[in-house]
Amino acid sequence: MALANSNIPEDVRAVAADGTQLRYKLMELSALYPDAIALGRGDPDLATPAHIIDAAKAAMRDGKMGATPIAGLPELRDAIAAKLRTENGLTVERENVIVTTGGQEGLYLVMQTLLDPGDEVLVPDPRYTSYDEAIASAGGKMVLVPTTHEDAFNLRPEAIEAAITPKTKVILIITPSNPTSGIVTEDRLRAIVDIAIRHNLIVISDEIYEKFLFDGWKHFSIGSLPGMEERTITLNGFSKTYAMTGFRVGYAAAPLNFIRAMTRVKAATTGAAASVSQWAALAAQTGTQAPIHEFHRIYAERRALLMQGLTDLGLNYSDPRGAFFLWTNSSSTGIHATELAYLLLKEGRVLIFPGNAFGENWGGYLRISVLQSTDLLTEALERMRPIIERYRAQE
Amino acid sequence: MSETLARPLAQRVLRLPAPSENTTPLPVPEGVIDKAYAALDAGYTHYTDRPGILPLRTQIVTALNRQYRLEFKPDVATITCGATEARFVALKQLVPAGTTVLHAGSGAVLQAAAQLLDIELTTDSSPNVSLVYLTPTDEAAAVTAICAQATAKGWWIVWDVSAGLTGSFHPAQTAELAPQVVTVGSFSGALPGWRVGWMAGSKAANKLRAYKQSMTICTTSVAQWAALGLEEA
Repeated sequence: MALANSNIPEDVRAVAADGTQLRYKLMELSALYPDAIALGRGDPDLATPAHIIDAAKAAMRDGKMGATPIAGLPELRDAIAAKLRTENGLTVERENVIVTTGGQEGLYLVMQTLLDPGDEVLVPDPRYTSYDEAIASAGGKMVLVPTTHEDAFNLRPEAIEAAITPKTKVILIITPSNPTSGIVTEDRLRAIVDIAIRHNLIVISDEIYEKFLFDGWKHFSIGSLPGMEERTITLNGFSKTYAMTGFRVGYAAAPLNFIRAMTRVKAATTGAAASVSQWAALAAQTGTQAPIHEFHRIYAERRALLMQGLTDLGLNYSDPRGAFFLWTNSSSTGIHATELAYLLLKEGRVLIFPGNAFGENWGGYLRISVLQSTDLLTEALERMRPIIERYRAQE
Repeated sequence: MSETLARPLAQRVLRLPAPSENTTPLPVPEGVIDKAYAALDAGYTHYTDRPGILPLRTQIVTALNRQYRLEFKPDVATITCGATEARFVALKQLVPAGTTVLHAGSGAVLQAAAQLLDIELTTDSSPNVSLVYLTPTDEAAAVTAICAQATAKGWWIVWDVSAGLTGSFHPAQTAELAPQVVTVGSFSGALPGWRVGWMAGSKAANKLRAYKQSMTICTTSVAQWAALGLEEA
């Protein structure tokens, strides 16, 4: 599906090949429409739990606002290590953990710490394009590993094996996935372990959506498997789990020499994460986890509504096993996803990201988030209907 | 857990120094806490806009314009995770491989970033200079001479006011030079743990902003609101 003859403004067309810039351009346009319903950015609309806010306030009140060590508050690193041991089966201590300024910085620092120019990183396609930027910034080369709708965008070990060259250094795993909401199942992860060990590869496992799986699917951390301690860097964060994206707290867990080096890179690039955020994150990690269960219930309800609504519109989507999105096949409309997203915004006042914002091969898909109330999701579906039907009729 | 990763680390990290850590807490001005509490109560706990909150950017450029008789608009300012991030982004984006960074005083704050990026810091105006790092505390005659060279040779200038808006001179006062000048500042002097800095100006402002976004998306929301309280305190 080509953009060549599409009816979209030049400033949108100009960034259509750059996923990150395209997403920001659409968000900028959306800001011009006060009545727009935002189903784009992966920022939970739910309020940050009160006990986390209270902890941030208490830290300020109690004078805990000096700079923290670059690697993070010892108390927070301990709490994260304990979580990774008990929930994820990793063998980690405080020294194996670094606190980052959000998950995105974790990814950036990992690539800077690991990649020499020319090193190849195997990345599932489609993907969140910040991976592209982090890899390129370190001089690395991204090598795409295809995933398919029919396979629920699960990673196929044979596709990984086929992409390996003498320059391959890293396999990147994102489970659950942004944008597809697919997961890498335990059986596939075990097969990937065999490949990683046989080819002496590092695995970066991005698990930022781990708390949001549906329909009985369970999260599994590849770093817990035998032989993976010394070759796994686990990335995670607090933003998505606790609806606290603005605090900017993520973390990485890895062997000691890697964390020490990553700490030096962090000191050279951004310094420590904000103190107030780290105290808030500590409360998130050690306080009640009840809000996560409530968030999960809410997202599940919205997800069901959106799945039914898209089915009613005649749009199919891949099996959303986790995360916040419905990765929706829009090719039946006959127009490129960027044009469709632009029309949905301009005419329907619904912000949705086109699939090609997550890789150049995905101009026949949309990423639709569940991060609005059921009322707004219902309204968004109603706004989408005449536009979808008009183009499908033309087709 | 194993102590050592199964594969070697990047060459660039092997030359990095151990970070210096200063975790001494400072008392926080009351206006800052008030502003931070209000932001939390208002639900400002999610991503901010990529450039940073408009009130803080407005306040920053207003202060710059007042101090140095400039005419910056808020859209040329980006809030960063401390001045550290602003300096790193500038070096990463504006210094081509094989070129050097000239400084007139101490280049100590650039040392780690320069080592990570394999950039040579120099006090000589060698032919390979592509960027100049200057501060208001550098010797005035040297600054004047370097700015004249920067104008002639098209060098970028990072004008670092993170120690405070002092004096009346600013390289961007020269219209011809202004597109080459990135001003870097920080709130860390009074608020060291909050990690709020900024960068403003230059024809590369959008490029620098995009790179900052690729690193950290945005700066901590409540810290940005808190910094606004400092300006008002």
